[in-house]
Amino acid sequence: MSSLSQVIVAVEKHRRSGSEQVQRARTDHEFAERVLQRWQEAKQKIGAAMTPTGLRLPRLALPDLDEVGEIARFLWDEGLPGEFPFLTSAYAEQYLDPASGEPTPHVGNGEKTGSEEPTRLFAGFGLAEDTNARFHYLSRNQRSQRLSTAFDGPTLYGVGAGAEGVFGKIGEGGVAIDTVEDMERLYAGFALDQPDVSVSMTISGPAPILLAMYVAAAKHRFGPDVSVKLRGTIQADVLKEVQAQNELIFPIEPSLRFLADMVDYCSQQMPRWYPISISGYHIAEAGATPVQQAAYTLSNGFAYVDYFLNRGMDVSVFGPRLSFFLDCGLDIEYVALSRICRKIWAIGMRDAFGADKRSQILKLHTQTSGRSLIAADWPNNLTRTALELMLACMNGTNSCHSNSADEPFTTPSEEYARYAAHAQAILLEESGLFKHMMNTLQGSPGMKAVGNAVEKAILEEFRAIEQQGGVVGAVERRYQRSQIQAAAHQLERQIYGGIRPVIGLNRYHDPDANWPEVQMIRTPKEKKQLQQDRLQDFEKRHAGEHLQSLDRLSRVVEQGGNVFGELTDTVEHCSLGQITKRLCEVVGKFRPMV
Amino acid sequence: MPTIRILTAVPICDGHDSAINTINLEFVRHGIEVVYLGYNRSARDIVRAAVQEDVVAIGVSSYNGGHVEFFEEVLDRLDQLRLKPMIRLFGGGGGTITRDDARIMSARGVHRIFFAGTPLAETLAYLRATYSDVVQPPYAPSFMGTDQMLSRELTLAERDSAGEKTAPEQVPMGSKPGRKAKVIGVTGPGGAGKTTLIDELTYRFLRSRPADQRVAILSHDPSMVGSGALLGDRATIIYSQDDRVFMRSLATRGQAGGLSPSTRRCLEILRRSEQFQIILVETIGTGQEAIPFGMEGLPVDHAVLVMPPDYGSRLQLQKIAMIDSADAIVVNKSDSQGSRTAFAEIEDRMRFNQNSQMLLRTQANRHRDPGVDQLFQKIFGGG
Repeated sequence: MSSLSQVIVAVEKHRRSGSEQVQRARTDHEFAERVLQRWQEAKQKIGAAMTPTGLRLPRLALPDLDEVGEIARFLWDEGLPGEFPFLTSAYAEQYLDPASGEPTPHVGNGEKTGSEEPTRLFAGFGLAEDTNARFHYLSRNQRSQRLSTAFDGPTLYGVGAGAEGVFGKIGEGGVAIDTVEDMERLYAGFALDQPDVSVSMTISGPAPILLAMYVAAAKHRFGPDVSVKLRGTIQADVLKEVQAQNELIFPIEPSLRFLADMVDYCSQQMPRWYPISISGYHIAEAGATPVQQAAYTLSNGFAYVDYFLNRGMDVSVFGPRLSFFLDCGLDIEYVALSRICRKIWAIGMRDAFGADKRSQILKLHTQTSGRSLIAADWPNNLTRTALELMLACMNGTNSCHSNSADEPFTTPSEEYARYAAHAQAILLEESGLFKHMMNTLQGSPGMKAVGNAVEKAILEEFRAIEQQGGVVGAVERRYQRSQIQAAAHQLERQIYGGIRPVIGLNRYHDPDANWPEVQMIRTPKEKKQLQQDRLQDFEKRHAGEHLQSLDRLSRVVEQGGNVFGELTDTVEHCSLGQITKRLCEVVGKFRPMV
Repeated sequence: MPTIRILTAVPICDGHDSAINTINLEFVRHGIEVVYLGYNRSARDIVRAAVQEDVVAIGVSSYNGGHVEFFEEVLDRLDQLRLKPMIRLFGGGGGTITRDDARIMSARGVHRIFFAGTPLAETLAYLRATYSDVVQPPYAPSFMGTDQMLSRELTLAERDSAGEKTAPEQVPMGSKPGRKAKVIGVTGPGGAGKTTLIDELTYRFLRSRPADQRVAILSHDPSMVGSGALLGDRATIIYSQDDRVFMRSLATRGQAGGLSPSTRRCLEILRRSEQFQIILVETIGTGQEAIPFGMEGLPVDHAVLVMPPDYGSRLQLQKIAMIDSADAIVVNKSDSQGSRTAFAEIEDRMRFNQNSQMLLRTQANRHRDPGVDQLFQKIFGGG
């Protein structure tokens, strides 16, 4: 039986066993005693919170249950925070406001820095120094620096600023990075070796090359042993590129191999780095339904586990290195989507792969939906993002990015990037919704009903994928792509048919409305030219060593060595474009799917 | 009224194809033939394709910035070929293209920009109103030998075959019957990997033959009911985006059997142009009974049948007519389950045939697949 089929069986078995647990608690006295004891212990551990108005609240709200069967059901279905199946949250504590000094977390947790805000500060435009300045601007009042980086088209496609026909794209929609020197400029002034700095890079096709540049750049600044201290995430999700985002460079098989090399390397030598972020975001942005997003993302995750295991890697080593990235929109599914994902991942990892607790936890970064933001009457986007943010926190996301209201037009302006970050602060620090009680808005009958329906639908999608030959087989048959495209088409038809209300567009549309002007961020010609000049200069300075270096890389690829390890050296002498070109000669190019 | 043929694409270093996919579908549903070039395509690729497909307009969907420069480069390249007024450029990019940008772009010659929130019906109405009766006259003899003249000859042949208003004398033909080109027909069920195989064969041709040698590809896609078609083969090819390759996409326009009513004439025009060493004709995904090439179909020098390993039971195999007449049968996707069985079953099935046939195993989606090398040697005649 394939692993995905095993996951389906395990999730269904878990659901059925819920009622068995209830029966057992009601009939087996010894078991009932254990259940009650666990319940009492959990309750005793709950800390207290004091609101500014003097209201005393428990840090964690548990349902008022006095019947052992119902208690057993709760513990089985929902679990306690940080305990299987992690429905409430991945960790025992979340969304603590450290400024308050109160309350004390009810369970200690060595895994996470508790005082860190979940806010990730996303930026990327122009040249490295422009994005660097934005990072400094955005993080100046933050307790921790969690920098999230967007790259421009030539970087995402690995061709670099020197390629034919890309001049206009340099520094647009993201930052232009061609060399290890650009990478140094990008994070200049940040203490990358410190635990309160973490860096995230939104890139998949050339991810190993970019991470190699990051490691090399960090070594230049902090010495050769810095790798173990580097903290962050790189997206590197090959499968979703094929399914939705279209930014793959090498064919699927070598792309997976380069990824596995990187995961393997990070698992051994970069213990604080998450070398893959299994992403539903781009799947949803391409128009997938929320259930498709969840089903494809989770099944991709299980497919990676399969792939790494087949390579002889140890799940207890790489499992805790996997993390997830989901979109959160305004559809009702989002009331419970992420918590159900956490549950399915936990059950699948435990029962289909025999993984330990650290690998069972789905660590989640959420971004609010870019697709839900529209140009018409665009200040409404502030409201949309705020609601999505709340849904994401209701689902216990571990980190979050809220979009700028001006996103339909441009790379976020300073002004709206600030509003977007402040939205999170308003929700988590100013409002009392999350900071006193960690699960204030969880567990309602409505949330449960949505969760059950979503869970069922995800399993249905898993079955469909199995019928198409499993995840990779289905990918090759364009199954996920065509499903996503059909959903996107339907969504547009619903919007233009008025079935799906979009305020300001097909409802309450005011033809005379004067929307505020958007301040467009564009990279001037001179900067684009500067990037090309810098690249040319780098390549000229390294003309002596670069061929040797590329030949060595080719040999490692052909002889089956760890490509990532070699890349950390290659990037010292070669630009992104040079490396990509050489790798394409050795392993071929990705053939686009439409 | 002639069928409107347009080209759509997403610019270089941009993978945002969600909008264009939806728009393509809407166009096709409403009778338009859309040649889709795919995403991450350079201005050079776009203009080459527009010339070879002889479209009346290019639609570009850009969401990743740099649109002012990109649209301008497309226009410049059209201008260099003296095609700027004839092939119009329109596009959109949601909110990323501002009204100020659009003013600059239209001053430079972009015909129309659609802003965020434009209903699909409005885009469709624009196409109908602007391109329904574009005249595409034959080129003057001074264009002899250019791709655009050749391409126009194909257009006129296609219109003529469709019974559209084109006087017979307006359909130009080369003067002498060409003998140089070797014609290779490629057929097989949908999903067998025909386009990938053709792209890989072309790649080997481009690498191994002198730079003055060219290859032509005549590719087919099915028309939908209501006459539109999505011609998408160009979107999945990578190595054939090259000036040495002339590719033309034809819709079947209601004809059964895998080819178009104008295939025969188009092939003749390509042959007589004497520009190509090799002409590849790719059918749509065919059914069991189809015999697109050979005595009963289009005459070709080599007929290649591409088979996926998952054709079903042995019984299904008995019904596939092309197995009897193909010169070469290729079991593609040799890495997938069942390919050994398929190979053995087809080999067994071929034993009943009189003529000498080749049976090969390929994995076209693998870089430098030795099976494809072998097919290239046998069919293209080495070199």
